[in-house]
Amino acid sequence: MSYLKDIWQARELLQNLTNREVRGKYRRTALGQLWSLANPIAAILIYTFIFSFIFRLPAQVGDPSGLDNYALWLVCGLLPWLFFNRVLSLGVDSLVLNGALIQKVYFPRIVLPLSLANATFFTWLLEMGVLVVAFMFLGAFVLPWLPVLLVVMIVFALFAVGLAMIVSIVNVYFRDLSYLLTIVLQFWFYLTPILYPIDLVATQSERLGGLFGTPITLLNLYQVNPVEGFIEIFRNVLYDNAAPEASTVLIALGWTVLSLGGGLLLYAKKEKQMAELL
Amino acid sequence: MSDWAVRVDDVSKKFRLYHERNQTLKSAILRGARSRHEDYWALKNITFDVKEGQTHGLIGTNGSGKSTLLKCLAKIYWPTSGEITYRGRIASLLEVGSGFHEELSGKENIYLNGSILGMSKKEIDRKFDDIVDFSGVERYLDQPVKNYSSGMYVRLGFAIAINVDPDILVVDEVLSVGDEGFQKKSYERFLDFKKRGKTIILVTHNMPVVQEICDSVTWLNQGTMMKTGPAAGVIKAYRKSLD
Repeated sequence: MSYLKDIWQARELLQNLTNREVRGKYRRTALGQLWSLANPIAAILIYTFIFSFIFRLPAQVGDPSGLDNYALWLVCGLLPWLFFNRVLSLGVDSLVLNGALIQKVYFPRIVLPLSLANATFFTWLLEMGVLVVAFMFLGAFVLPWLPVLLVVMIVFALFAVGLAMIVSIVNVYFRDLSYLLTIVLQFWFYLTPILYPIDLVATQSERLGGLFGTPITLLNLYQVNPVEGFIEIFRNVLYDNAAPEASTVLIALGWTVLSLGGGLLLYAKKEKQMAELL
Repeated sequence: MSDWAVRVDDVSKKFRLYHERNQTLKSAILRGARSRHEDYWALKNITFDVKEGQTHGLIGTNGSGKSTLLKCLAKIYWPTSGEITYRGRIASLLEVGSGFHEELSGKENIYLNGSILGMSKKEIDRKFDDIVDFSGVERYLDQPVKNYSSGMYVRLGFAIAINVDPDILVVDEVLSVGDEGFQKKSYERFLDFKKRGKTIILVTHNMPVVQEICDSVTWLNQGTMMKTGPAAGVIKAYRKSLD
């Protein structure tokens, strides 16, 4: 509890560090913050070309929105993933890279991964803003869903930052993690139904039946992945304009509590040793 | 007799000296999570009080544990056993300019660094002119600090730190930054701080400084406390040991 109070007292520091990330990042570039949109746009173009045009994935029709557009369907999952990816891959080094500061000044160390996540969230917010505008142009009834979307975004961000907190501390002990994580994230990306619909997995899963003589199916394994649920919720809200299933929401919330709780506990426990370990 | 502002109660600090450290997954797996290390006591049973409004010096040869103790006082390290208690707000000045962002302007860095050192935005607003004035980098405030000369860099860092205005200030050898003019200015600021009844704990090798401004002194040698008490007596004993 007292640890949460410390974090609260450091909120101005958190804000300033966030500003440092946001402002410092695109200094001396002509396009500035616009660069943050370049990456997702490139990814969307590439994936749409490959999966919608070359591989001809089955059409994804939004219910009840009636949307039928692979690029938009993809973005609903891709933007949250890119955010998640950045929070983790930046967050993992947040303590190690700030070692010099940690050894010279006392402040709640947790603000380091938090400020990175905040800055990344800000970028993500811009991207999602552009996406929402695109949806409105294409006639989706997305406006009433915006408050829900914002809540889902915040919950997902908390889930991501919890994980980032955990990996940032583990990385202090095992510096390999930072490199390993890049590979893990790559697997994670392709094993999450972002580029392809989960229906395709379900079809394969049914064909295979229980794996290795157990009643566990491929689909079950897929659904262990917490990001899968979040992506489904994002697509429900943005693409289908429908309420997500209660069970999916509850599981996502459960994961968030687990990840954030784990991260906070780890920090509360390990924070005092940080300066020596680095 | 005034009350104590900082109480160091039987503080010990143990470090692990690693011979083989499992800092990669490979070594952790190969050796099974064991790592070979030796315990090293950097501080052993240190006990002293610093009274409110006094300036307390930590002296000793290199490797005596002064800096470790200072880092414990600054809450960067945590004692393995024992306890340090404070009465009042504490700030530490171990290095100036840590936490500057190279690409950000001097002005932005004042706010950033100020908040790292624990100042609120309002406080920084209020002290902004003073900080700029003291650092003498006014003309370059909108330049990124990476273009600053090393002198400007430390002057700005020092100006921010000296304006934190805590009740207790913990200082490492930072009084020797900048050119002679700036050193004089910062020394005056330091004395002014003392005059206003603030508590200071400092580490320095500069014996004339210790003699001039410290009321009490603790002498450390290889992690143990040799002597603590009024400045003159401890300094004399320390000097004698060096001969």
